[in-house]
This record gives sequence, structure tokens and C-alpha cells, in this order.
Amino acid sequence: MTRRRTWASRLADAAIITVSIIWMLPLFFAILMSFRPQRDPITNGNIFFGSTLTLANYMSAWEVAPWPAHYANSIIFVVGVLVVQVFTITMAGYAFARLRFPGRNLLLGIVLLQMMIPTGVLLVQNFATIRTLGLYDTQIAMMVPYWGSAFGTLLMRQAFREVPYELEEAARIDGANWAQIMRHVYIPLTIPSYVAFALVSISSHWNEFLWPFIVTRSAHVQPLTVGLNKLYQTSDVGALYGQLMAGTLMVIAPLVILFILFQRRFIESFASSGIK
Amino acid sequence: MFSRDVCRRLYGVLAVLAVLVPLGVTSAQDTITLDFYYPTAVDGPIAQILEEYAQQFEAENPGIDVNPIYTGSYVDTRQAIQTEIQGGGTGPDVAVMLATDIFSLAEEGYVVPVQQFIDQMEDPEAFVSDFYESLMVNSVDEEGTIWSIPFQRSTPILYYNKDMFREAGLDPEQPPRNRDELVEYAQKLTLPNGERWGLMVAIAGDFPIWLFQSFVMANGQNLVEESPAKVYLNTPEAVDALKFLIDLGSTYRVQPEGGTSWGDTPTAFTSGQAAMIYHTVGSLTSILQNADFEVGVGYLPSGPAGEDGTGYGTPTGGGNLYIFANSTPEEQEAAWKWVQFLASPEIQADWGAKTGYIAARRSAWETDILQELVAQYPQYAVARDQLEIAGKEFTSYRAIDVQNIINNTVSSILAGERTDIETALAEAQAQIDSLLAEYQ
Repeated sequence: MTRRRTWASRLADAAIITVSIIWMLPLFFAILMSFRPQRDPITNGNIFFGSTLTLANYMSAWEVAPWPAHYANSIIFVVGVLVVQVFTITMAGYAFARLRFPGRNLLLGIVLLQMMIPTGVLLVQNFATIRTLGLYDTQIAMMVPYWGSAFGTLLMRQAFREVPYELEEAARIDGANWAQIMRHVYIPLTIPSYVAFALVSISSHWNEFLWPFIVTRSAHVQPLTVGLNKLYQTSDVGALYGQLMAGTLMVIAPLVILFILFQRRFIESFASSGIK
Repeated sequence: MFSRDVCRRLYGVLAVLAVLVPLGVTSAQDTITLDFYYPTAVDGPIAQILEEYAQQFEAENPGIDVNPIYTGSYVDTRQAIQTEIQGGGTGPDVAVMLATDIFSLAEEGYVVPVQQFIDQMEDPEAFVSDFYESLMVNSVDEEGTIWSIPFQRSTPILYYNKDMFREAGLDPEQPPRNRDELVEYAQKLTLPNGERWGLMVAIAGDFPIWLFQSFVMANGQNLVEESPAKVYLNTPEAVDALKFLIDLGSTYRVQPEGGTSWGDTPTAFTSGQAAMIYHTVGSLTSILQNADFEVGVGYLPSGPAGEDGTGYGTPTGGGNLYIFANSTPEEQEAAWKWVQFLASPEIQADWGAKTGYIAARRSAWETDILQELVAQYPQYAVARDQLEIAGKEFTSYRAIDVQNIINNTVSSILAGERTDIETALAEAQAQIDSLLAEYQ
């Protein structure tokens, strides 16, 4: 028995290692290319360090855009979206989970429908709204369409429904008002869902390109992805992979570091919130 | 607790107000501000260069502010402008867009012809004729009205490795002049087992039309003539061009079958994997920087249409300056000043030297800056001189849709997905004709 289990677990380990190597390969090649000189592409025989290592790609990538401003804007964008989202999904999630009111199912259906509409379809309409509000070329403009989240609302609705209703009743008997019930009962019990939602929200908005690109024009409000586009669009000279990879790594670095730091927490959250 | 949420909401309102209020205040109209969109597709500190131009222009033209805005690729720029105008916005005052966008921009009513401003110049004739005809041919419509001014232009050229020419016993000062020589040289330069290719034509991928057009033109029939309502795709010349491109890979075995990708070809050349490549002159600066061998540059070899020059086939490419219809007449006047500034010989020369785009005016090549560049790197002069024999880049009504049809057809043939060239071209031609039927 024991022997067979070791054999099986070794096989599982081998499979996991193989899969993670496959997953790591693109990142590995991106790092490799970003440090190789422009004239030695990855296809040029000596795949590993046959040529020289250089920081030239990072230096030229750094020159192309005002990166410190882009970093600040990306952080403002994702945090600004997340903070408001947490507020709205908590309110809406609770309403759909616990309150009884006429038209609740219809409203929930509408929220669900919203998840099915591709954002590209709404581009012109959303732009018109932003312009009417006078928000064009501001950081707020990038955030506004994401302040409500259908996915987050549904996620919190499910999470709140799993909290035993008796806990809310007990708190009410103890004299807690609604805000206190949220603070002391619902939110602490659903932290894993919030963490999971935050991860999805942060990573998707960190990587968002089209909408910020459409509603902003000034480099001092544009996020990293729009800056990275400058390195990507070099069709009149052919592809400059080294420089592009250097820029890409600069852009994803904060997310990667965040993930490594909070890895265990994230995985626990995903496991307990049921998102896979 | 609830009060904290209320506070948060208040902060949100305040934040919105903080943004709105200054916007309302700064609408005083004493200076004209021009939004200038540019999709410059070369590397380097482009934003800084254009910011310097804007400052120089503002110093010379008090009362006009220029706001250069990078807008991604040509496709991104088009999408941004479309969204803005359809969403009720104004769009830019001046933008660099493809020269070949002329008919779609005119049809959508986004731009005004610059002809009206040229007509008011002291000597319109001298201004227009200073630009290379092969570049201006894409700026005019059927009636001869000029819609745009060349800005960041390019043209395909043949790059070759002089060291490898010497090694193979070829004259390093004599690039192949016609297709027979191209094949012959490429065969001598190719090493077995893919160790080195004699030739790489950067035609694989989803945008083969540009280099494909050069082969068709060299056969004596361009894909488009005077009329933007007529496309010549299903022709013996196009069939022959495709057969030759396929033969380069499968019969002569001098390049990878199907050609090579646009992005990878310049690095394949600088790293010694290819002895000759077809690519844009835009790559010349970075190729010269990265190559550790002597780089030779030649005209694209001529096709069977004649050795006397008529068989040369070179389209041009790149972006022109357009003035937008949504701007007020005062803004358009100011915009025209900015366009003239960017198209001036001094700026064209400086821009060309810094980016690798080819200066569009003859007088720009007489400035010190380009004279010195040519003295140091005569390769630039080859691309310039080739402009004299270059032809019209493909454009038509519904240019984007038509280009897509041509690109899809050509790439499926080159990739070997379709082997019945004649049928494939006939089908594509029928599709194009039905698209263009309403313009006949």
C-alpha cells in the first residue's frame, strides 16, 4: 500500500512539475529575450546564454514612455475601481441575497445579462456618456464603467447566502443595526470571496487596454498598458522583441510580485470561494 | 459605520467635481489648441521629438498651442477617432493616418481636402512639385484634389549582406538587378539545411499586400490604376507574381517556404540568417545599428515587364497629415500652419534622420542634416532615388475591406492552404467587384 502510494504521488509530482514548466516557459523566454542584445534573436542557435547579456533593452524601453506616471496611473485606476466595486457589490450582493422586494428576480436577471454583453459593443455609447459628463481624458473616466460589477454582485450574493441567517437574527437581537451586522457578521465571514474578487478585478484592470486608451489622451493620466503599446507598435522597423519583452516585464512586475507575496492567501481564497 | 460609507460616497462626488470644475473654467478662447494624433510605428523617443517640434512651432506661431498625442497603431488611431466622432466628440484637429485612408476618410466626412489651403499659397505649384510624385500620387482623388500631405513615409528596398556577397564570389557593389539575378545570387548565397537563406521576402503573415504589390507592379500591372473604384487582382501579372513567390521557396529553395514574417525578417538579416531581404526603408537605421557587417541596399529587382526601368515595382507606404472637418475654420487655418511646419524641408530632414522615414520633399535632401547623413550612409540615397521609379500604393474605395480580401487570399495561397491560384484570385476579384459595384 505505502509503496503504491509513493509511486502514485511521485507520478503526480512529475505531472505537476511538467505542467508548471510548460506554464513557466513563456515567462522564461520573455526574461531571456529581454536581456539578450537586439541582434541575437532567440532563434539564433545559441538559445541560452551563448551571446552576451545586456540591459540595453530595458534602457531603451525606459526611454520610450513616462513610466513613473504610468505606474501611478495604473495603481490609481485599479485601486479606484476596486474601492468603489467593493462598496457596490456588498450593497447589491446583500440586497439580492437577503432582502425581499418586488422585481428582485427580474433585476437579478438584468445583472446577469450584463455579463453577457461584450464591452466592445458599448464603446461608443460609453464614450458618449463620458463626454457628456465632461470626464474625457481623466482617471475617473477610466474607472466609471467598472464601478458596478455583475460578476462581483453575483459572487457576493452567493457568499452572503451561505452565511447562516440565524447569525444576522442573533446580531439583531443583540441590538446591532444593519451597518453593524454587515461589519461584524457578513463581511468577516466572506473575506475569502472579497480577496478572490479583488484578485480578479486587479489583474483584469491592470491589463485593460482598450477602454483607457479610448478615453484618455494625455500621458499623465494613461495607465501602463497604453504606454506599453508604444513598444508594441513598431511595424515600420519590424519587431523589436527584446525591447518589447523588457517593457512587458516592467509592466507585469508589480502583479507578479503581488502574487508571489500573497500566493498562499490567494490560493486559499480561490479554494474556499469556489472560483477555479 | 454607515457614516463612513456616506463619507466615501461624498468623496466620490467631490472627486468628480474636482475634475469637472477646472474643465468649465479653462474654456477661455484666446489661444487655439490643436490636438495632433500620431501613430508613429518606429522605436525611439518619438514623443520627445514631436514635443520639441511643437515647442519650436509654438515659439514661431504665438497664439497656437499644439498637443501631440500618441495614439498607438494606425488601426488604434482610426478606432479612437471613430469612437470619438461617433460618440459626439470632436476628434483631433490634425492626425497622421495612412495615405491610403484617403477615400474612406473622405467618404465618412472626417477630413477636409488640404487643396483649399494649398490654393491660398503664394506658389502652390512650387510647394506641391517639391514632393516626390510617387508619394503625392496617393494624396489625390480622381479629380486631382489633394487631401493630405506626406509625413512619415517609407518604401520597400532590398537589403544585402556585402560580406556574404564577397564570400560567395559576387560583386558586393552590384545587388541583383532583375529576377533572374535575384534567383541566381540567392542560390549562391543559400547554405544547406536552413543554415542560411539567400533571400527572405517579408511576406508571411496577415499583411502581405505591400510586398505582393511590388511583384505585381514589376510584372507590368499595378493592383490599382487611376480609378479607386476598380481593382486589378485577377490578372496574369498577379498570378505570375504569386507563382514566383512560391517558387522562391519550393522550387529554387532560396527562402523559407511561404516567405518570412514582417517582424522577424530584419533580425534574421542582422544576425546573418539571411543574405538578402525585402523590407521597408524604415528598418534601415536599426539594421545599420545592429549589423556587424557591411550593409548594402538596392532597388527592388525589376520584373519581366522590362529591363529599361518599367519593370521596377515599388509601392510607397506610410502616413500622411490630414486636417479634420470637425475643427472650426480658425482651427483649420492653424492646423494648416502646423501641417506646413511638419512638412517643411527642415523638419522633414530632421524627422527622417531621427526616425528612418524617408524625407518626402526634394529640398529636404539638400539640407545639411540629410547631406551629412547620406555622406556617412549612402544607403539612404538609394531609397530616395528609388522614389523616382516608385508607383501608387494600393488604395480604393472601401480600402480596408478590399485590402482584407487581398491579404487573406494572398496569405492563404502563400501558406499553401490554397493551391488553385487562378480560382482563388477570381473569387477574391468577384468579392471586391461586388463591394465596389455601388461606386461604378
